Amino acid sequence: MTTQLPPGMNIETVDDKIMTLNVGPQHPGSGHMRLIIKVDGDYIVSCDPDPGYVHRGEEKMAEYRNYIQNIPHLERPVIHDSSNILYPYCLGVEELLGIEVPERAKYIRVIAAELNRCIYILYWLAIYGIFLGHSTMFMWPAGDRELFIDLLEAMSGARVTHAYLVPGGVRNDLPSNFEERCLRQVEYFEKRLKEYEAVFYQNPLLKARTEGSGILSRTDAIRLGTTGSVLRASGVDFDVRKKEPYDVYENLDFQTIVMKEGDSYARSRVPYLEMFESCRIIKDALRKMPKSGSVRTKLKPNPKGGNDEVYRRIESGRGAIGYYIVSNNRPEPYRVKISVGSFRNLICMPYLLKGEKLGNMPAVYWGLNYWPVEADR
Amino acid sequence: MSNVIGIIRALNSGVKHLAVKRFTLRYPEQKLKFVGDGFQFNPETGVGIAGLRGRHILFHEHCTGCQLCSVACEGIAEAISMVKVHETWKHNKKAIMPQIDYGKCVFCGLCVDACPFYALYMTNDYELSSFTKSALIYTPAQLAIKPKISQDVEIKIDDRGASHG
Ligand code: SF4
Ligand code: SF4
Repeated sequence: MTTQLPPGMNIETVDDKIMTLNVGPQHPGSGHMRLIIKVDGDYIVSCDPDPGYVHRGEEKMAEYRNYIQNIPHLERPVIHDSSNILYPYCLGVEELLGIEVPERAKYIRVIAAELNRCIYILYWLAIYGIFLGHSTMFMWPAGDRELFIDLLEAMSGARVTHAYLVPGGVRNDLPSNFEERCLRQVEYFEKRLKEYEAVFYQNPLLKARTEGSGILSRTDAIRLGTTGSVLRASGVDFDVRKKEPYDVYENLDFQTIVMKEGDSYARSRVPYLEMFESCRIIKDALRKMPKSGSVRTKLKPNPKGGNDEVYRRIESGRGAIGYYIVSNNRPEPYRVKISVGSFRNLICMPYLLKGEKLGNMPAVYWGLNYWPVEADR
Repeated sequence: MSNVIGIIRALNSGVKHLAVKRFTLRYPEQKLKFVGDGFQFNPETGVGIAGLRGRHILFHEHCTGCQLCSVACEGIAEAISMVKVHETWKHNKKAIMPQIDYGKCVFCGLCVDACPFYALYMTNDYELSSFTKSALIYTPAQLAIKPKISQDVEIKIDDRGASHG
């Protein structure tokens, strides 16, 4: 007897040699998501990523709150990179409401964003280490991350969810002797970062597990629409900070890190090298920053946007984050759409994992810089 | 062969750290020092003053009961409710003041930004845990108390590495 199935559904044929594994949804490392993996012996036959377990409705929530009240909840998707996820929102709202940002505030924002990028990458690197069974590489970045958390805490007053960037500038000026303290800690961190090289990146055990696995070619990287470090590890020179500079990035001295290989090793190394560039940006910004001046433009209470729409994007630790904001003469936005790097990089997973050994799965998965909470928003 | 050298190098860089000071902060024996007395806000310039965003402090002599802090928090955490106080202040006819539920507060400090009368600031006190939910609700009288804190440890950096004190 054949039963009629609803359109779009089909019955899966079961092969005795193929086994199905569910990786997740109980927190495979960074948040709730599931990979449905089919294995033949030790080799992956197919992988089906299944996101959506941590959808929080950030976009809908943004429609009921005014432009300032939106700040605390919009940084929740990536609390480790909270300045960067707020950045495009602030840029967009400034454009909608026609707000000028003081010069000093622009530099402070760049410093906050770069400190936060380091916090994110260090956290990511710590998890990368423990995913590959390297517990030193878990302890070191997790400890060194404290240097940056300390700096951002002095700046903004909170350790993780800073709510520091606002439309019109930043919440408060830098504390006294911040420049000196920041320079000292960033310089120490650069020295420390060089030690990671021998213990992790030149370690033959890491190389054996990551080199040549999960190769994403340049054309595939572009075709699949990847972004951020994944794109740059496949040899595409694209960084929003360089290509569409926002705030003061065009005045600052840094390079885009590009690697040609496109394998897991390159994807693990690009964010690491980017931390050196972030330190360079921070030091340069501290040097070029105006030493005094206003840091926040005073807004009217409950500012209203006209009948308008904007799209602004920035480069975060996980790739480009874009905000599309529509306003309709009300204090609340009419629609906020967030486009995040994590979600766009997820699509590579079935392609990269096909034919890989199951043991290489964590390296490929985490190398994609995928953050479930951000992807589900 | 190069693999063996690589592994020895990796081990060596770890072993060197046996002689390096420990970075761990021994909380609660040690507590980190913060800048200033907590996050404050100057309504005239519209700019805040850097500091830790911990528990709030309410200055009864300044609070007018205007409810702006509670309105600001409505879209964020709904942590502030206005309650009656048994005090008579000329500038606070309705005799209402904010009461904050720290079970809900996310320490964003936007209520401090909203207060136009220099009445609501934040302090360096972050140790708010309690055994009951009701103890997390701070009444205006509790919010007026200045916290007693001893936080003095800073990150120190020398040639033997970074450490906490
Ligand atoms: S700090 Fe934020 S969440 Fe807490 S009471 Fe103030 S506005 Fe509400
Ligand atoms: S604390 Fe400030 S904003 Fe809140 S009721 Fe008192 S005066 Fe108004």
